[in-house]
Amino acid sequence: MISVRKLSYIYSPKTPFAKQALSEVDMEIEDGDFFGIIGSTGAGKSTLIGHINALTRVQKNSGTVIVDDVDLSVKKIDFKKLRAKVGMVFQYPEHQLFDDTVLKDVMFGPKNLGLNADEQKDRAKKAIELVGLNFDEFAERSPFELSGGQKRRVALAGVIAMQPSVLILDEPTAGLDPVGKRDIMELVLRIKEVCPTVVMISHNMDEIACYCNKIAVMSKGKCVGVFSPRELFGCKELIEKSGVGLPLVTQAAAMLNAAGVDIDPAILTENELVDALVKAAGNA
Amino acid sequence: MPFLQFKNVDFSYPSGEDDYIQALYSVDLTIERGEFVALVGCNGSGKSTFARLSNGLLLPDRGDVCVDGCSTADKSALYEIRKKIGVVFQNPDNQMVTTIVEDDVAFGPENLGLAPAEIRERVDWALDCVGMREYATSGPQRLSGGQKQRVAIAGVLAIRPELMILDEATGMLDPDGRREVMEVVARLNEKENMTVVMITHFMEEAAVADRIVILDKGKVAADGGKELFLTPDVFTSAGLDLPMPVRVSGALKNRGIDIGCPLTVEELVAAYCKRLSGGGGEA
Repeated sequence: MISVRKLSYIYSPKTPFAKQALSEVDMEIEDGDFFGIIGSTGAGKSTLIGHINALTRVQKNSGTVIVDDVDLSVKKIDFKKLRAKVGMVFQYPEHQLFDDTVLKDVMFGPKNLGLNADEQKDRAKKAIELVGLNFDEFAERSPFELSGGQKRRVALAGVIAMQPSVLILDEPTAGLDPVGKRDIMELVLRIKEVCPTVVMISHNMDEIACYCNKIAVMSKGKCVGVFSPRELFGCKELIEKSGVGLPLVTQAAAMLNAAGVDIDPAILTENELVDALVKAAGNA
Repeated sequence: MPFLQFKNVDFSYPSGEDDYIQALYSVDLTIERGEFVALVGCNGSGKSTFARLSNGLLLPDRGDVCVDGCSTADKSALYEIRKKIGVVFQNPDNQMVTTIVEDDVAFGPENLGLAPAEIRERVDWALDCVGMREYATSGPQRLSGGQKQRVAIAGVLAIRPELMILDEATGMLDPDGRREVMEVVARLNEKENMTVVMITHFMEEAAVADRIVILDKGKVAADGGKELFLTPDVFTSAGLDLPMPVRVSGALKNRGIDIGCPLTVEELVAAYCKRLSGGGGEA
């Protein structure tokens, strides 16, 4: 479980450029959650997830962050334990590939955990296959001559090889075409079977509505609240306040509802929309 | 005379020692002044190669690319060609060259060797066009992604190009930023008669354009107006999605409710309401 309590953060404190990025954020992410974080640019999403991996350190007297039994608000964090627990996939993770073969690149994490050579390779192999790449075909290839989608898979494998129990994804589908987006999200669901807790930042409300069971809304450094998709997208005031959009289908449902059509404005998927429209036409 | 013309263009990138990856195959395409064209296709379909060939950043292996009658292969014409075609790329952070917004916009006109008064005028006009005048003296690092991308567009505008190519220019933006950029582009096309080629894989953005060109594995798979959305196969076979309203109206049609082919959420709502209020048919 990840527990964030009264977390505040100021960039460049005590300078003219001081900027409050987080103020008193409270949040609880439970094991098994597919936890979405949304909010417009500058809302504090990235600063928040930086704390969960201790890339950003909790400032003095600025709250606590605890991941399972690792306290990230203390001076001496047990980094080895933390890094094995929390895997972080940045935006455009393919930019982080660096080694000359796929195998070596994916083995880098396990190597740094101090595992022996066999274990390193074993973990890398499992991770490469989990992301849907054939091990024998890809292990010795250079990651740089792969296609964009394959590179992103290798980068994900590198994180999964650490066998984390929490996976943090920052805009995992940014820049991909529709098919690539779907492939990556299906892959995330597959990864979730072995890494039960997934935290995802996304601007894509269709994806958020489709995959997350809980959604934290960030606005100007504060956590407006944590909601189920239906609570969130069914509440117009909440959406307007947080400055994010609605999933397209929800937009359509809300407009239809406003135009007097007998339809639930909190519709989340296309199938729901089609069913509701067929039903409303039958009743009209 | 067409403004931009691809005549039978082949292009390939080197891959390894003596291997090549072909990105475009015999592409024939003509774009006239004032058009608003969406160029769509999945990753690797050749969209960005098209953009780079348009202004002579790349030269074709075979065939010819002409801008306003001049070939990009003619080195002496390149300077003029690049004044006529502006390209906005995906990542706004890679396109900023200075620490002050208006300096950044002035970079292009300064390099054209214009008089200071003319530069001032162009910078102000360009910032007005994208609604960023009030940020003229800000640092780019204090802007949001959508604002930065609007500044990047202003930087291109200040050169007064006739054609603007946006190469997935909204790809890294949040929904607000994407809307800001789309509004600016639509206004430029309408009010300033700017020719626009919008490279994207957001189908909702493509639905705004007057003409849609689909690239699939380096070939032009389809080229037409909004009526293309009536034949969903041309999109799906190129690995693309349809806009949500098209998918929903298709599903409704299969279940006996014909509301035509709306392209936007607004059109979907209007068409459905019209159908309910006595558009006829079963119920």
